[in-house]
Amino acid sequence: MQVTLKIFRYNPEVDKKWHYETYDLDVDEKERILDLLELVKGHHDGTLSFRRSCAHGVCGSDAMRINGRNMLACKTLVRDVGDKITVEPLLGLKVIKDLIVDMEPFFDNYKKVLPYFINESPLPADGKERLQSPEQRARFDETTKCILCAACTTSCPSFWASDDYLGPAALVTAHRFIFDSRDEAASERLHIVSETSGLARCHTVFNCTMACPREIQITKAIGELKMATLTGKVD
Amino acid sequence: MGLKRNVSLATALRYKGQGPFLTYILHRIGGLGMAVFITIHILASFVGGKAGVFVNSIYENWLFQIFIFFCVLFHAINGLRITLLDLFPKLLEHSREAIWIEWAVFLPVYGLAVFVIVHTALGG
Repeated sequence: MQVTLKIFRYNPEVDKKWHYETYDLDVDEKERILDLLELVKGHHDGTLSFRRSCAHGVCGSDAMRINGRNMLACKTLVRDVGDKITVEPLLGLKVIKDLIVDMEPFFDNYKKVLPYFINESPLPADGKERLQSPEQRARFDETTKCILCAACTTSCPSFWASDDYLGPAALVTAHRFIFDSRDEAASERLHIVSETSGLARCHTVFNCTMACPREIQITKAIGELKMATLTGKVD
Repeated sequence: MGLKRNVSLATALRYKGQGPFLTYILHRIGGLGMAVFITIHILASFVGGKAGVFVNSIYENWLFQIFIFFCVLFHAINGLRITLLDLFPKLLEHSREAIWIEWAVFLPVYGLAVFVIVHTALGG
């Protein structure tokens, strides 16, 4: 099928202002948007820049706005978006070149919620695992699926307004550790997320949940964090 | 290095967040509409005179009443939905259904109010 692919272009070494470039391509409807970008880079314009790595929806490198909505280019098929496709960089982060954005503010917020396992207690007597029941594991199973693609955070109006806001991805990560029965820093993380740049800025818009390529119930996770800060319970 | 991170209002409004994002935008418009209405209303009562009469004539206009009733009703119903979802996070899995219920409540009530306002305004 014939598709018209419109791509956001900006090269800081050449362009004073961003612009769009349009490419007419003959592609299969089962091809992914990432395949189209590769086609343009390989056969039309080698200067086109975008991030990609695994190309299978696991690494989270190629999150971008496709027809006005955050998606992973490697998980989005042509037939799902039609024959007129517009590809733009994520919102709320500086554009470095073309579809590549500066992810530093995103990861700075991620680091604030202590995204690692904290347990200072001695190991169990046998010196092996810290055991956990299937129910305890299931409590935070949903939020372990995050691939840090930033599709959620950059779809959030609160993050567009200020990158001080931790953002959905950081809050999902906080949820993953706060509700882990083996972790011992829940109260510390709850204190971090309850500050003004945290949960209070979530207005339950749902853009994050709808943008998540892993279908994580992000707004629900944030809702559980809100209740945890109110009640102090992390059961 | 690179373009600024600023997201303009026009760009933000173009984001395709679908139903939930629409309710978010309408909620903001409703809140802003009420805030402007109350602020001007209070100021007009202090100013009085011709300016006060002029402002009152705006409030009494049926088109304005349709607008302000939309602001109040939508803001109230949408706010109630968000409050319930925040208080009971398990319900957040059914956010789509919650929005359908919201519209199912809002549209008949607002439609009835618009009918009454227009009927009255046109001398019914």
